[in-house]
Amino acid sequence: MEDLAPHCDHTTGCITCGDEAVPMEVVRVDAERGLALCEDGAANRSTVETALVEPVVRGERLLVHAGTAIARAA
Amino acid sequence: MKFVEEFRDAELGRVLAGEIVAAVDPDRHYKLMEVCGGHTHSIYRYGIDDLLPDNVELVHGPGCPVCVIPMGRVDDGIAIARNEEVIFTCFGDMLRVPGSEQSLLEAKAEGADVRMVYSPLDALRLAKANPEREVVFFAIGFETTAPSTALTLMRAKAEGVPNFSCVCNHVTIVPPLRALLDSPDLRLDGFIGPGHVSTVVGARPFEFIPADYGKPVVISGFEPLDVLQTVLMILRQLGEGRCEVENQYTRVVPYEGNLRALQVMSEVFELRPHFEWRGLGFISQSALRLADAYAELDAERRFEVPNVRVADPKACQCGEVLKGVIKPWECKVFGTACTPEHAIGTCMVSPEGACAAYYNYGRFASEKAVV
Repeated sequence: MEDLAPHCDHTTGCITCGDEAVPMEVVRVDAERGLALCEDGAANRSTVETALVEPVVRGERLLVHAGTAIARAA
Repeated sequence: MKFVEEFRDAELGRVLAGEIVAAVDPDRHYKLMEVCGGHTHSIYRYGIDDLLPDNVELVHGPGCPVCVIPMGRVDDGIAIARNEEVIFTCFGDMLRVPGSEQSLLEAKAEGADVRMVYSPLDALRLAKANPEREVVFFAIGFETTAPSTALTLMRAKAEGVPNFSCVCNHVTIVPPLRALLDSPDLRLDGFIGPGHVSTVVGARPFEFIPADYGKPVVISGFEPLDVLQTVLMILRQLGEGRCEVENQYTRVVPYEGNLRALQVMSEVFELRPHFEWRGLGFISQSALRLADAYAELDAERRFEVPNVRVADPKACQCGEVLKGVIKPWECKVFGTACTPEHAIGTCMVSPEGACAAYYNYGRFASEKAVV
């Protein structure tokens, strides 16, 4: 978390802030807390809330928006 | 990355463009609205409009949540942010949206503790790490974002985090579409349906568009081949005299949506009787507020807010842009007084706004690129 996002690039769009979502791959699952460590196409990793798409498994692809997985990318 | 690169294949794009040319009636002008700001951005980023015949016009809709926020709601947020005990959190785009006197970023420059977060859960973590401060999350977005806010509020309630609250500005996609379809100054032939909103709400809520208004809807992904294929599917419906909801984005969108997400939203939120949309005015039952069971987490009840309606600046024509009545470059202040660095209107603030997309990709007039 930072005050201003260095990669919030207004020429390429900011998919974190807008109403879009980003595909990510599950790297590690914390089923007890309903969280998963996920990685996007540029190898950026972040913790993702998985309550809406559980159960998830390692290697699965999720569509992540605002830190929450909202769908499986089939 | 799998499921991304294969949808950017230039050769397949040219094949689809050829099929589109074959599908259009040269004597007819087609006006298709892309509802979602993400599609607007894709269209200009990849030059998709340059691949379309001249008589296929893409019209940009109201689907950027930042663009439709009225100034009064920004003023309410700033009023809360000015409280000394408050850490005010929001998504990055919101920071620069002008209120009647200043933006959240300007309020921050004057000393308000305004911070950007990537997720409402980040705001909740901030609340737990700063128990002596009040942490307020300014929630914004369509049904794509609302489940994330709902889950966060459920966690805050379950864990008993007393210093966390939320200003709810979540909006719903169907009422503004109905308002647009009822608008007498807009004639549309079909809709490019919002892909990621539909992962949550499914395709069913859009069935009223073909049923009541006789227009096709095709729910679309965001990669260039997705958008081209969607345009082709709409043109084929029109050519064959069909009119239905189709789903181009089946790799992600189930027809029924995400039932668990809808369930958490219905537990945490209730519909507001009215909500003001920038450019579209008040639309009934078009936005969400916290249900009574979550009243203690409602920042609008915890803090005093001005709750005053503020008219848009006279020079700004965001309303006409959001309704697709004019193109961004037809606005009087586009690219002169209103730029991404010094935005007057919200459509120039958010990168998903139609004006910002036109400005950033050099579309200052109606000419098409040669491809």
